[in-house]
Amino acid sequence: MKIFFSILLTAILTQNFVLAKFLGICPFLGVSKKTKTATGMSLAVIFVMVLSTAVTYPINTLLVNNDLEYLQTIVFILVIAALVQLVEIVLKKYMPPLYNSLGIYLPLITTNCAVLGVVLLNIDNGYGFAESMVNSLGAGIGFLVAMVMFAGVRERMESSDVPESLKGLPITLVAASLVSMSFLGFAGLVENLFA
Amino acid sequence: MAEKKRSLGKELTKGFLDENPVLRLVLGTCPTLAVSTSVESAVGMGLAATIVLICSNIAISALRKVIPSKVRIPAYVVVIASFVTIVQMLVKAFAPSLDEQLGVYLPLIVVNCIILGRAEAFAGKNNVLASAVDGLGMGIGFTIALFTMGFIREFFGTGTITISLINNGKELWTPLFGENPILIFILAPGGFFVFGMLIMLANKIAEKKGKPKAQLHSCKACPMFATCTSSEKEDCER
Amino acid sequence: MKKFSFKEVGVPAIVLFLIAAICTAILAVTNDVTLPKINENNRQAEIKSRQIVISTADSFSDEKTAGDKTYVEALDKDGNVIGYVFTTSSAKGYGGEIKIMTGVSADGKVTGIEILSIEETAGLGMNAKKDTFKNQYVGSSGLFNVVKSNPGENEIQALTGATITSSAVTEAVNEALEIYKTVTGGGK
Repeated sequence: MKIFFSILLTAILTQNFVLAKFLGICPFLGVSKKTKTATGMSLAVIFVMVLSTAVTYPINTLLVNNDLEYLQTIVFILVIAALVQLVEIVLKKYMPPLYNSLGIYLPLITTNCAVLGVVLLNIDNGYGFAESMVNSLGAGIGFLVAMVMFAGVRERMESSDVPESLKGLPITLVAASLVSMSFLGFAGLVENLFA
Repeated sequence: MAEKKRSLGKELTKGFLDENPVLRLVLGTCPTLAVSTSVESAVGMGLAATIVLICSNIAISALRKVIPSKVRIPAYVVVIASFVTIVQMLVKAFAPSLDEQLGVYLPLIVVNCIILGRAEAFAGKNNVLASAVDGLGMGIGFTIALFTMGFIREFFGTGTITISLINNGKELWTPLFGENPILIFILAPGGFFVFGMLIMLANKIAEKKGKPKAQLHSCKACPMFATCTSSEKEDCER
Repeated sequence: MKKFSFKEVGVPAIVLFLIAAICTAILAVTNDVTLPKINENNRQAEIKSRQIVISTADSFSDEKTAGDKTYVEALDKDGNVIGYVFTTSSAKGYGGEIKIMTGVSADGKVTGIEILSIEETAGLGMNAKKDTFKNQYVGSSGLFNVVKSNPGENEIQALTGATITSSAVTEAVNEALEIYKTVTGGGK
């Protein structure tokens, strides 16, 4: 049980996907203007991350058993793309309320490197099925935490007086820098908690 | 003939600064931030992405009349993923140390928005030669941006520049503060900060030329945006 | 129910399938060409690392097992065992698993360590690859502890800003020393 909490907390805090691993920066910068959209996007990401891990894990076992590891990248990206489309269709048909809140973000998730990233990292780290699932969940929650925090910072920034030349993207990146600096404070937390 | 040559030259150089994929179009931000901790890994990533970009641009441009527009995005993804895997295998075989440095970011070139973005915006509509030149130009632009980021971060963050191919992996030179480098530059916050400063500089240069500031189109930047339905597009722009 | 025409559904599907098939074929060919080279690289890297951790060795034995661990014996010119090479890892690194190779002489002293795979923060944890850090282990035989300053005997000065990495590497070295004890029968 300990190992699961350790993986979960590492993925959320110390090795945050966005702020420490730089995966999923596009949506982090692009869809974080408002807390509401940031939350919607993140929930969709968590959903797709966990689902694609569940689907790609057995596929990877199949590839490894047949010495076809070199097809990993191509197979995974297609599986993720197909999965995203499928989820979109299913949600649209059977769960319109959920589709209305998450659906618009789904097409954007295929090229979100955080999703393919987590799938590949699970394999790199040699995680088993349960560990992979926990890691994906943690990565997704970490994405949510970073997005929501950053959206809050950006909402405050709208009303502040920013120097002319920093307006727009530069100040956004400086703000992201400060948010990620705060996450450096978690260094060592997980190791010491479970030491 | 002369006219065609000039336009090709323009296709090449537009990516360097005016339409620099990273600093002006704000694409491919993930690798830009992640592997720019050293000049070596930054340039390695730049070159790997450039090769993939040129190859996929050529292949997609050559196939543009064959690929039905309905399935063009999945087709592009398949083509790009194949080239990425080929580059990955070649790097593993001939430059194992680079493979170690780039780690998971090497296969992640697949989802680098620059490549799918150029396929959708350029290679799918233009002839093979122009697409190849466009890929080369954008690739060089990407490499320039990565090199600049990597140089600033490694220079300030470690106080030295180290390239394993030159000088047997010894430090090339140790500037003034080699003893007490500003570590934060190679940590995650430094990446965001340097990137912000570079965008600001690029904005200033663009302003002088009378061009608009770099903008993050929350959704338009994403190549998958093309697959959104119109109502989704509206929602996304809100 | 909408009727699907072959032109609308069939043709795109076939084209997509063909593209995927061709790509897979190209990948299979490239894989065949590069795989031997990659395996050779890995083997060469391992041999090179072995030579670094025990520089006095003339040759190395085949892989041997002690319990569930594997190790390699370092041999001198006459085939006498002068030391052991252990490959151990620690999952407690900051960026994941750290894999190291440790050379231990026949009398139980660390002759050298080499980092095989590491994904730590550049400029902090990555400094573990530097000789100044690695050489701290050389020549000692006890289990190591990590301290932040003034290292004494069997103590390792942690890397600036990377205590976790230092501890992980140390843990792996200690594991190698433990395996050494089981291999040589309870240690000396």
